[in-house]
Amino acid sequence: MARKILCVAEKPAIARAVATHMSGGSFQTHAIRGNQYVKNYEFEFNFGAPWGNCSVTMTSVIGHLTGLDFERQYKGWLSCPPGSLFEAPVKEEVDKDKLPIAENIRNQARYSKALFIWTDCDREGEHIGSEVRNQAKTGNSRIEVRRARFSNTERAHVLQAAREPVELDEFQANAVAARIELDLRIGAAFTRLQTLQLQAVAEILKEKVISYGSCQFPTLGFVVDRYLRVQNFKPETFWGIKVMLQREGKKVNFLWKRVHLFDRAAVIMMLERCLLAKKAKVTRVNQKPKSKWRPLPLTTVDLQMMGSRFLRLDSQTIMKVAEALYTKGFISYPRTETDQFDKAIDLKKLVEKQYPDNRWGQYARELIDGKFRTPRSGSHNDKAHPPIHPVSWVNPSQLNENEKKVYEFVTRRFLACCSDDAKGKGTEIEILYGEEMFHANGLIVLEKNYLDVYVYDKWESSQQLPNFEKDEMFEPTEANISEGKTTAPGYLTEPELIGLMDANGIGTDATMAEHIAKIKEREYVVVNKRGSGRSKIEELIPTRLGIALVEGYDNVVAGLPNSISLSKPFLRKEMELRMLEICAGSKTRQEVVQQSLDMYREVFIHTQRRIAMLKTACRKYLVEQA
Amino acid sequence: MASPEQIAAQILNTKSLAVSQNWLNTFLTTSNSAQRNLPASALTKTALFRVLASDFRESLSRSPSSILSLQVLDIEDIGTSLWSQVEAIERVERGEAIRGREVVRTIPMGDDNEGADNGNGRTNNPATPNASGSSGYGPHRLILQDAAGTKTVAIEMKSIEGISLEKLSIGAKMVLQNATVARGMVLLNPGCVTLLGGKIDALDRPWKEDRKKRLLERISTLQGT
Repeated sequence: MARKILCVAEKPAIARAVATHMSGGSFQTHAIRGNQYVKNYEFEFNFGAPWGNCSVTMTSVIGHLTGLDFERQYKGWLSCPPGSLFEAPVKEEVDKDKLPIAENIRNQARYSKALFIWTDCDREGEHIGSEVRNQAKTGNSRIEVRRARFSNTERAHVLQAAREPVELDEFQANAVAARIELDLRIGAAFTRLQTLQLQAVAEILKEKVISYGSCQFPTLGFVVDRYLRVQNFKPETFWGIKVMLQREGKKVNFLWKRVHLFDRAAVIMMLERCLLAKKAKVTRVNQKPKSKWRPLPLTTVDLQMMGSRFLRLDSQTIMKVAEALYTKGFISYPRTETDQFDKAIDLKKLVEKQYPDNRWGQYARELIDGKFRTPRSGSHNDKAHPPIHPVSWVNPSQLNENEKKVYEFVTRRFLACCSDDAKGKGTEIEILYGEEMFHANGLIVLEKNYLDVYVYDKWESSQQLPNFEKDEMFEPTEANISEGKTTAPGYLTEPELIGLMDANGIGTDATMAEHIAKIKEREYVVVNKRGSGRSKIEELIPTRLGIALVEGYDNVVAGLPNSISLSKPFLRKEMELRMLEICAGSKTRQEVVQQSLDMYREVFIHTQRRIAMLKTACRKYLVEQA
Repeated sequence: MASPEQIAAQILNTKSLAVSQNWLNTFLTTSNSAQRNLPASALTKTALFRVLASDFRESLSRSPSSILSLQVLDIEDIGTSLWSQVEAIERVERGEAIRGREVVRTIPMGDDNEGADNGNGRTNNPATPNASGSSGYGPHRLILQDAAGTKTVAIEMKSIEGISLEKLSIGAKMVLQNATVARGMVLLNPGCVTLLGGKIDALDRPWKEDRKKRLLERISTLQGT
């Protein structure tokens, strides 16, 4: 009998997609007992040396198999002081609803020579892979374990991954294990402390769980910080100088190099010095080619930011949709930090696949007929996944509304990456008038190139400037004082928030959207819709509770040297950096867990001692100002 | 030992400052014997240092001259809004700085602090916060005072190295030559200003301490009008 190999994917849809490719479409489907989603697919496959022709069972899990929790005696809210959760014993157990899935893996492993892990190739997937391995080893301690490395479910790619398996990355799995333990302990300790202490403060908190998460709070902190900046803002008047010249029937407006100043008397004096000089002198006439660069290859953060700006979908929806498109084999894995294409990828072949499309098929053809350019390379490479790109063409009638939007964006972006920059001609005129410098700029777009397919970017010709000669003198038609007022920044939008989280190390590209959804769900933040149509803006506004928590935690550490508020990104960022050290093998899981717990335990002790600060803030916003 | 006349001549020649005889006499009688035995050049240096730290109204003679000797009483960045300066000051108070979109802590964390106590632990930080909250680009508006106590407003028309909220202390000294005056304001250009440095401690410290308060007061007057 042929050798048997067990393959386990992260989701049923991936198992099915991979099975379809490996079997060439003919496989047998078996239901498993106790779970209606997970199926076993059986077929034959030739793995090449050393495995040869084998009979394969392809199955899956549904995300994590196990969960970490405290021992039973610590589970009750009043069972122990919240602070003891930093040390209380924990155990990893298969989730109740996953028991049949775990049993299926153990059973299948019993008859298998080897286990091939097909979980998604990212940190989380590595950890899920280690959970799968543990179950398989329980069923068959001698089973050999391999890991398939893949980043999309396109046929050739899948077959190659099946034939060139690698080892599971223990470091990455350990980093996730550390994160899970830290999130459990820190989250539970603070959630219990603040819930128990604050419930009595205000009527509306009575039945409420006030949850804490080490990513959610800095995320909330960004929203509150911006909100307070908007609220506290004080407008101020500024003054500037406008110079206008009428020439060749055109009005040329010159902009002041100083833009504007906040001292009216000084601006009047400067204008008078201009008028006194009577004539302005052209100090520079500069004509140079200008270009607008095509975009970089698409990363997850960019997809979320651009997506919520152009597609009007929130980041979590975008990720769900992208995930669905990936599972169906239309786009590559949507969780990636990489903004450079590997040289080995045949980009032209991917472009050719878009020929049938009646929106950009013609454009794709033109690229292959000579306009193709190698994409720009960004500076990020997660060494796991390529930038997000379409892997096959799909007829739009097969997609729902949101899928259509996201697929269109991913594809247009990809084609734009493979196009030339937009080209134009820029003119810059600089004048010296009295002692003040002014300038006027003109732009003529000559070749739109990538802009033809990437409809999200705008670059348009300005009014054409009349001719100027260097060193010529002229008398401006008008020179006036202009007046304006500074305006408050806008409330935080979701793309901006993602940008802040990314820059400050809060969450990973895979989890940012979840954290934002969490703070909405917890009622720390609400979404305020403003405007309509293309100018529609969704702003994030903190609730009274959200503001109270941030102010409370800021006050808890106020005046304490070396203590950092939980509303700031710094503690979480430290923790995130230590995760990277586990991945690099320079720190162990235990070291990192201990160090990070110590860091948060200190804040916990301060919070306990100065809990009155937190209560006062809640009373202020939820009772007095309610 | 150098005579008061010699020292005065030296300072006038090198720095264009007309030091008063009375002040020099007091300087010489109050300096200790060790100083008095210094060579003339070293003694002149000490005298100059004292002049730059003094109040010009006491240390300079009021003889009219084409070269103006002035001290700084106030400096403001008129290219930056008051409110954004307040925001920047508050960021520094919280120990934060902004690098693009990133918020950076400017105070070292507890555990990384070992051995950093023998000096100041802040110096090796990558993000040096701008304690004044000014953008640093200016232009700046200054209030200057001469030996007679007369005050004038001056505007930095072209950027002058050394004129910024960080670098220029209150009581710092400068000499002006051939400066233009327009609408009652002295126009400062690199060609007409020579910065001599120095500061008046008794003015500089409270000026720095109260800066945020003054900005806030000015904002609230602006809102009122």
